[in-house]
Amino acid sequence: MHLAIVGNSAAALSALESFRERDQTSSVTLVCDEAGPAYSRVLLPYYLRRKLTRDALFIREMADYGRLRAATEFGARVERVDAATRRLELADGRSLGFDQLLLATGSRPARPPIPGLDGPGVHSLWTLDDAARLDPLFRVGARALVLGSGFVALQAAWAACERGLAVTVVELLEQILPRVLDAQAARILHERILAHGVDVHTGTRTDGLETDRRGKVHVSAGGLSPFAVDAVIVATGARPNDGLLPECLEPGQPGIPVADTMATTVDGVFAAGDVTRGPTAAGGPREIHALWPTAVEQGKVAGANLAGAGLTYGGSLSMNVTEMFGLTVASLGRFVEDGADDVSEWRDLAGIDYLKIVSRAGVPVGAIALGEPEGAALLGRLRPFVRQKRAVDDMLAFLEGRDLDQRLVGRRAPKEKTPCAS
Amino acid sequence: MRIVAIDPDSCVACRDCEYACAFRQSGDFARSASHIRVNFYAQERACVPLTCMHCDDAWCLDVCPAAAISRDPQTGAVAIDAARCAGCKMCLLACPFGNVHFDKADGVSRKCDLCGGDPMCVRSCISGALRFVEADEAFDVRREALDASLRRLLHLDKGEK
Amino acid sequence: MPQGREVQQTLCRMCDDRCGIDVHLEDGRIVDILGNKDHLWNRGRLCVKARAAVDMVYHPDRILAPLKRTADGWQQIPLEQALDEIAARLTAVKEQYGPRGVAVWKGEAIGFGQQENLARRFVHALGSPNYLSNDSMCYAARYFGFKLVDGAWPVPDLENARCIVLWGANPPYAHPNMTQYITAARRKGATLVVVDPRLSAIARRADHHAALRPGTDGALAWGLIHQIVEAGAYDKDFVERHTVGFPKVVEYAKAFSLEAVEEETGVPAATVRAIARAMESAAPHVAAYVGNGLEHHENGVNNIRAVAMLDGLLGALDREGGAFFKDAVPLRDLTLYDDVPLEHLGPLGAERFPVLYDLRRECHTMTAIEAILRDDPYPLRALIVTGANPALTNPDSARVMQALESLDLLVVRDLFMTETAAVADYVLPAASFLERTELHAHAKHQIVSVTRPVVSWPGVQGEYDFWHDLALRLGIGEYFPWEDETALNRWLLEPTDLTLEELEAHPEGVQYSPPRPGRWKEAGFDTPSGKVEFTSRYLKDLGHDELPVYRSPAYREAFDAEFPFVLITGARKLLFLHSRFRNIPRFLTAIPGPEVEMHPDDASALGVADGDAVRVTSRIGSVEIPVKVMAPNEILPGSLQITHGWKEANVNLITHDDRFDPISGFPLMKAVEVRVEKVVA
Repeated sequence: MHLAIVGNSAAALSALESFRERDQTSSVTLVCDEAGPAYSRVLLPYYLRRKLTRDALFIREMADYGRLRAATEFGARVERVDAATRRLELADGRSLGFDQLLLATGSRPARPPIPGLDGPGVHSLWTLDDAARLDPLFRVGARALVLGSGFVALQAAWAACERGLAVTVVELLEQILPRVLDAQAARILHERILAHGVDVHTGTRTDGLETDRRGKVHVSAGGLSPFAVDAVIVATGARPNDGLLPECLEPGQPGIPVADTMATTVDGVFAAGDVTRGPTAAGGPREIHALWPTAVEQGKVAGANLAGAGLTYGGSLSMNVTEMFGLTVASLGRFVEDGADDVSEWRDLAGIDYLKIVSRAGVPVGAIALGEPEGAALLGRLRPFVRQKRAVDDMLAFLEGRDLDQRLVGRRAPKEKTPCAS
Repeated sequence: MRIVAIDPDSCVACRDCEYACAFRQSGDFARSASHIRVNFYAQERACVPLTCMHCDDAWCLDVCPAAAISRDPQTGAVAIDAARCAGCKMCLLACPFGNVHFDKADGVSRKCDLCGGDPMCVRSCISGALRFVEADEAFDVRREALDASLRRLLHLDKGEK
Repeated sequence: MPQGREVQQTLCRMCDDRCGIDVHLEDGRIVDILGNKDHLWNRGRLCVKARAAVDMVYHPDRILAPLKRTADGWQQIPLEQALDEIAARLTAVKEQYGPRGVAVWKGEAIGFGQQENLARRFVHALGSPNYLSNDSMCYAARYFGFKLVDGAWPVPDLENARCIVLWGANPPYAHPNMTQYITAARRKGATLVVVDPRLSAIARRADHHAALRPGTDGALAWGLIHQIVEAGAYDKDFVERHTVGFPKVVEYAKAFSLEAVEEETGVPAATVRAIARAMESAAPHVAAYVGNGLEHHENGVNNIRAVAMLDGLLGALDREGGAFFKDAVPLRDLTLYDDVPLEHLGPLGAERFPVLYDLRRECHTMTAIEAILRDDPYPLRALIVTGANPALTNPDSARVMQALESLDLLVVRDLFMTETAAVADYVLPAASFLERTELHAHAKHQIVSVTRPVVSWPGVQGEYDFWHDLALRLGIGEYFPWEDETALNRWLLEPTDLTLEELEAHPEGVQYSPPRPGRWKEAGFDTPSGKVEFTSRYLKDLGHDELPVYRSPAYREAFDAEFPFVLITGARKLLFLHSRFRNIPRFLTAIPGPEVEMHPDDASALGVADGDAVRVTSRIGSVEIPVKVMAPNEILPGSLQITHGWKEANVNLITHDDRFDPISGFPLMKAVEVRVEKVVA
């Protein structure tokens, strides 16, 4: 059996390991339009911030592919998947056959309809090349504009701020991190960002970018006076690279829909990662969760099932964590409450500036923590309850970290051989 | 592989393990530097040590976007390579037991690495509550403790007249 | 093994457990200390104090050269000069006041084997009967309590017991390595009973915690005796054949009904009964261990005798799983009590506390303080202190200081400038346990080990070298003929089957003789009657009760509303031993300072919260100290606890040195009447 994997990031790598755990004999080819070996996209801002070296961004060595007996085709872009003939048609004219296929093509930066977006001086922060182009522009005293206020955008802003640039953030919506934080938490972070000397404008549309002969980009946005920057980083969202299997797409719905098994509607073709519209832990309609941990989880299931394991994925749980502007920002699940939910909020809880847990009938469905890293650990401990839809019997004990103790003391076995993911 | 098996029924919360681990990590005895934490509940007289169980299916390892967490081939311990760690804290969010800790001073995550195969917490446990045993046995340790308590209870009941 | 790296195996002496250790050296410098996995006693486990020995040995404050007090402060002088001057001044005191005007005071840090006996030897060689030590306040009372009943203080066989009873003892912090043996027994189903006014670390694991009022242990013991006798659950055969005084025990015990015991001790009747039943059903595999907690009371020895009697009643003596009698290592005797008897010179305290001198040849430190201050019974003018810090650890520190400062000559040997050293005329650098070679025995398994000097500094002497050099200058060199510690060790071992080479080759310990349970029942107990003595003729002849009569502690008998709280002192902490180790920085990270433990109801009534400062006042003084509010089950309302050894808040400024157990002479330290008030800034 020959398995082809299109992609070389979290989902693809996770699937490869998971597949090889079960199937050591089938041949595997990994195809990716970028050069190999794999690097960590989510850590590109850490490189710009000088927390990581360029070398440290690589999360695999060429030898790892050899160890997993995967042939690689790096720098090879797939233009089309012919499901009938079971062939991948590459841009360079070659075609590769497959028996089974995993599409882990990820996503690409969204391109908002702003005039001048293609000009020089306007960048994305998505690939290693993007980071390499931005790095020399990160000089003390230079000025940068960041469009968007999602994770990538604010990470980029933080990196620029740390490197001594003057930074302006412009966000179309009314709050920063709209998909990660609720209004209250966003306000806290917003204040913190301002305190670091970064200019933040929410509810502001960018009307145009114009690069002059000297390379400066002139910005007109919303109600702001025009200003010029040395670099613009566009990070207004991501779009799934779902074009390879148009027959699977649902009208008006981006992302390749996948079943609990990560199978697409095409026989023998699976998908995993940012490219999918997949099941969620909450059990509602399928969603795109363009998150590293989700890609890892989905890849694991897809890889196993490509080897005939027959696993089902429990559904992705939105989970995010990052450190920026001196705060650890973490969120989990559905953290914006609706009418039937119970909300508990804490301020200044053992170093956590803001903690919010949303529950329904005692079962936690989502949470946000801002402040010390302990907040991320607390959400980590909450995650199994959210995933398994289990009530937290004693929230106070849970917050104080005593819940596990009670289980041990009460002589109930801890969750050994931990099925951590689901 | 061997892991640190915990028997709360024998623990006296002396904190030798915490001090020994903190010392190894930092040269000092601040409990926040220790990768084993002992919680003591006076009213219930309960002493509960908790530390990483080096799960067979280690989510922290799977999820790390810097490939900084790996399994030591000798000891089987799940360990963080601080040189590779970016400090993104995804592992803190991943561990369901809160066993990954963040070192703010160095900006990296840290966790128990079984001290390379001879864990200091076990060596310093004067009560014998901590033992370094094969993972399958580790949960026998708890059953044993339960048996012993049952036996004590029966013994005591027999004694009551 | 990396280049220049070696491991030497020896024993740790950060406390008296003496665990086997592997000392790691790199190019001759100690870099790490780990447990010796092969040592029969600790089996590789090791508390965190052991590693701190490295910090202690290389501490920047370590005294490495002799210091002489001058008008301009401390002056460093050569060792030879120091010894010459000390010898000359000792001679002067001897000539003016007689040899008994000189005393030696040996502390816990030196240990109890040959180091203790070297001190005893020296002072007798000098012509003085006055050997003083920490045993004026520790060990001896228990020794008497058990010796007077059983003929010796047996060792509890914890590992094989089915019921373990701890009286005023907290192994995790006092003898950490005992704890693993308690765990081993409990894993086999043994019950654990802890008798302690506080919920100590080990009490957290107790099946029964008898949280009794301080000093009332004797009442509880008699109550248990009564229960066991009433139930007929005693070993009738053993009692009949091997004991004296049983009928008097039965009679006296009648007063200790469950209700009476509850009334006196505060322990609920149901708990007392449950403990008795637990002991009965486990008998004869009942192992009891008594701690220093029972010694510091005016009725201490008698309370301990009553506890000791339980072993005999239950048939737990001289057997596995009960109380076994260890064989002493048949080493040569270093003391001169036979060769140079000096009782006629009136050893300090021998008249007031004859048992102390008679059975232990111990003089009484508090009497020594009197002698220094008031020439009563005669002047004591010169003192050599080795490894002791009485300025902080004896009761009534103010008086102790006054006495020390008034001496004609005070010589202190220590690793550091302690509070006692600070008022000395000469401070001499002393070798730590990692710098000496000496023999040690462990009762469990009956093994002997020899330690090794892992590092050394020129001029930093071990005990033997010091006494030897001083003796030569005083004309008593004949009593210290050995070339060095090793030669001494060889001499000590002569009567045994063991050689030094064998001990050196076996750091895990060599058994000197296998334990022989049952031999005392055969050969007779080492008491005047050859039997276990519930009634003691010896004591009766000295004017004491023949039975261990229970006397209620003073704070109950004569409650004084002016001092309504009862203060316990001396509860152990894992990291500190008496006044030692507070110069290890990481120890202070863990345990930053002194505190007074208080029940939450008392804290409420006083209007104090955790960390607030209070003033604790006794009849003799006051000390200001922060409060630690405990959980309600951790300490009794109306009682307090302060751990000693902190100069920042020295509890011995308020403990008395004028109330003693008439038999042992031990001071009352664990039931001191005090009052407490919040300190208002």
